[in-house]
Amino acid sequence: MDYLSSNKILIVDLNTGETSEDALDDDLVSQKIGGVGITSSLYETYKDRDPVILGTGLLTGTLFPASALSVISAKSPRTGYLTHSPFTLKAGMELKYTGFDYVVILGRSENPVFLWLHDGVADILDAAELWGKDVWNTTDLLRKSMGDDLIQTLVIGPAGEEGSDLAQVCVNYWANGDCWGFGKVLGEKNLKAVALRGMGLLEISDAEDFVDQCFEIFEAIKGSALEGKRGVEDILIALGESDAREWLAPVVHRHSACYNTPYPTNTFIYLNEDPTTLTEPAEPEPGFMITDIGALLALKKSGLSAADAGHVLRACARRGVDPAAVAEIIGKTGQKDPKAIEQSLEGLQGTVAVPQGAKFSSWVPQNPIFGDFGLSGESSLRDWWVRRQAVAYLFGIHPIFANMSPELSEEVILEMVNKGTGLDLSQETLDQVIEDICS
Amino acid sequence: MNLYHSYATINQKLAQGVELHYGEEEASVLPRDPRPLRIPRIGVYAGTGTSHSWLWFAELFDRMSFHEILFMTEDMVRDGFLESLDVFAMSGGDTIRIAEWLGQEGGRAIESFIREGGLYIGSCAGAYLPLKSSKQHLDRFNFVDIKIANLSKTRPEAKRMGRKASTNYGCDFVYHPVREDVCLRTTGKEPFTGFEYFRAPLYGGPSMVTSRDSDVLAYYDGFTEKTLFLVEESLAEETLLGKVAAARTAMGDGHLYLFGPHFEHPLFPIANHLVAAAIFWDMKKGRKNWKSLDSESILEGPAKEKLVRDIKREISNSRIVAVGLEAIPVQWIIGCKTYEPEKIRVFLEAIWKRINTLERSRSVCAQSETCEEVVVTASRVTRLLRQMKSRMDDHSDTQDLAWDLFDSLRRLAMIFLQIYFDSFGRSLDS
Repeated sequence: MDYLSSNKILIVDLNTGETSEDALDDDLVSQKIGGVGITSSLYETYKDRDPVILGTGLLTGTLFPASALSVISAKSPRTGYLTHSPFTLKAGMELKYTGFDYVVILGRSENPVFLWLHDGVADILDAAELWGKDVWNTTDLLRKSMGDDLIQTLVIGPAGEEGSDLAQVCVNYWANGDCWGFGKVLGEKNLKAVALRGMGLLEISDAEDFVDQCFEIFEAIKGSALEGKRGVEDILIALGESDAREWLAPVVHRHSACYNTPYPTNTFIYLNEDPTTLTEPAEPEPGFMITDIGALLALKKSGLSAADAGHVLRACARRGVDPAAVAEIIGKTGQKDPKAIEQSLEGLQGTVAVPQGAKFSSWVPQNPIFGDFGLSGESSLRDWWVRRQAVAYLFGIHPIFANMSPELSEEVILEMVNKGTGLDLSQETLDQVIEDICS
Repeated sequence: MNLYHSYATINQKLAQGVELHYGEEEASVLPRDPRPLRIPRIGVYAGTGTSHSWLWFAELFDRMSFHEILFMTEDMVRDGFLESLDVFAMSGGDTIRIAEWLGQEGGRAIESFIREGGLYIGSCAGAYLPLKSSKQHLDRFNFVDIKIANLSKTRPEAKRMGRKASTNYGCDFVYHPVREDVCLRTTGKEPFTGFEYFRAPLYGGPSMVTSRDSDVLAYYDGFTEKTLFLVEESLAEETLLGKVAAARTAMGDGHLYLFGPHFEHPLFPIANHLVAAAIFWDMKKGRKNWKSLDSESILEGPAKEKLVRDIKREISNSRIVAVGLEAIPVQWIIGCKTYEPEKIRVFLEAIWKRINTLERSRSVCAQSETCEEVVVTASRVTRLLRQMKSRMDDHSDTQDLAWDLFDSLRRLAMIFLQIYFDSFGRSLDS
């Protein structure tokens, strides 16, 4: 692949500590498109070796709106079959720029290690000093030891090391869409983290036209239904929580968007300081960034204040445990004291319901947000959600934003991918790939 | 006309054994002369006291396919490595520090190289170095009777960039009236033919007043929209306009070309062309043997891949830290020069942009100790940069690390570029 790609699949063998590279074949892209289309194909190839596969979409890291997504594909300890988890913020984009489109992680390391992917180089490095650290300290140590604050990390915390089914792979310091227990999978591999940084460039086939059209699509989105809305509070309101703004108001500090995403889906709250302060915070860690809307909503419904919910979410992120699962489990217990909830996270067990055959993360709300997708009927809604997520996971579109913006139609996405790659991907190919990955 | 392509063609034809003459057919970019052309062997000085501008010579030579290049330290100058060369190029830096580290022995070696027919090309600090001076260290290099016009008994008032506007020079001050692009006018003397007006950047180089012993090749003729005035414009005009920007002087059987501005800067093709023309026109007439590397120095297969991968790993690690440092407002003073974090990447990018070529090549030419040295030095640079970032995060001083870092970067770039030019200058493959 010459365009929108670094043309490399990295194979990491944790048993031997060695890495190798394969070229990303044009034919594979023509048949499987990218993202979960190709991670699913790679999973089949390597499934005897318990693979965890990181993958980018063809649009990931480009100027196409909301091109923030990369995915993790692996067999989930919670379901026993192949599932896919999104990762966004700046990490999805950064994976693309490390010089690898796909990373296949095989086997198990004898000792704790982390994977350092940078500028087309893959290093498997000792993680003895990181093992046992929580997610926040691990990211801090990785950035400090490698001298760059922009390094993006996929990290497990103590929950992953201890083999909890609720363990999550976090992004930098924050929760992520891993509702599949991939934190446990990495823990079993003795893989503490994947650190990402790259300063490469992407070639575009029809660069001028591609960039111009990206800006045009941005303009169309700016005038759409999401105009004037921001952060998790407006998403919660759209999901029917009409008092969400008032509930969050005492702690909201700012909103934050993922790479190149026209809507800030994340909200930073201050827990240890007054959020209205305009000066630099006095505390090194004044608060927390809410990235999991479902978990926040569940905690709200359990009767916690926004500040208490923030404390719980922060504890989950540091420990590397799925906050949505925690919210569901503690919701059943009726516990509302954040300190007690935090203490219960150690060794927390429980069962969380997963919709039958689900492959995409429930981190993304199940309804259209703001945008009118012309839906009617319950079964139609479920089908729409699965297809919309499949498209997002195939091409590298932020999966929450995909459910906000009808402007990013399949037709527009295909047109832009073909413009950027010089390929001729058709709607029939897309339909077939979606059917394959959802079956 | 693509000047780089013209010179690359000449060098490639010569490497293939084609006989070419000045001014004829493929060599029409040069003035006519009955002499046959041959490939010049060029030493680029990258020793202690140099700044990053010697990398511009490396860039120019790479673009024009001059591939018989030797990057030299002060020790190599003193140890007789100049004897096998036709040309010795000295770019910018801290003139006094360069002179100090070359010492009397280095001064004698350069003088003897020129007197025996060698060509010395000096720009900026490299132009100041051989001028008449009684100042300590510089007094070992009194090669040519050319006076510095930008010299003053009192320090002129700086309009901006005070530290870069002037520097002590014994009891006097050398001041730098402007920085960035200036307009130059050639006198039409060979080999500076074909272009009357051109531009080159001035970063502290001299304006000169020559005696009858020297040929004036170009004058400072005006300023541009990019010219940055460090002193009053009237003083800048008085100091530069009509003064000599480029001169050619004979010494023994050899010649010196002295350029106030950086003619070797990669954004100035006409100035680059004049450097190449000077090289072909006045390079040493005869030469001694060039030490060729034996076949054990050629790395292929996994050994070559490992070397390139090891270098790439460390340069990537270093670049990642260096980019982050550029957001931090810090400067270091090394000798009499000011260094900013942006300079770090100038060295690293000179390596990074060439790694792909080495990755693609079937083989690489390097002695085993050189392979080890380049990787060890690259790792050292990464370690120093990470240490520097850590100290900056803690608001601690980094001056001592900066000395070590820039010295290591210089050595790293030297070793790497030597491998690069050796690999492609010897037509292994490309």
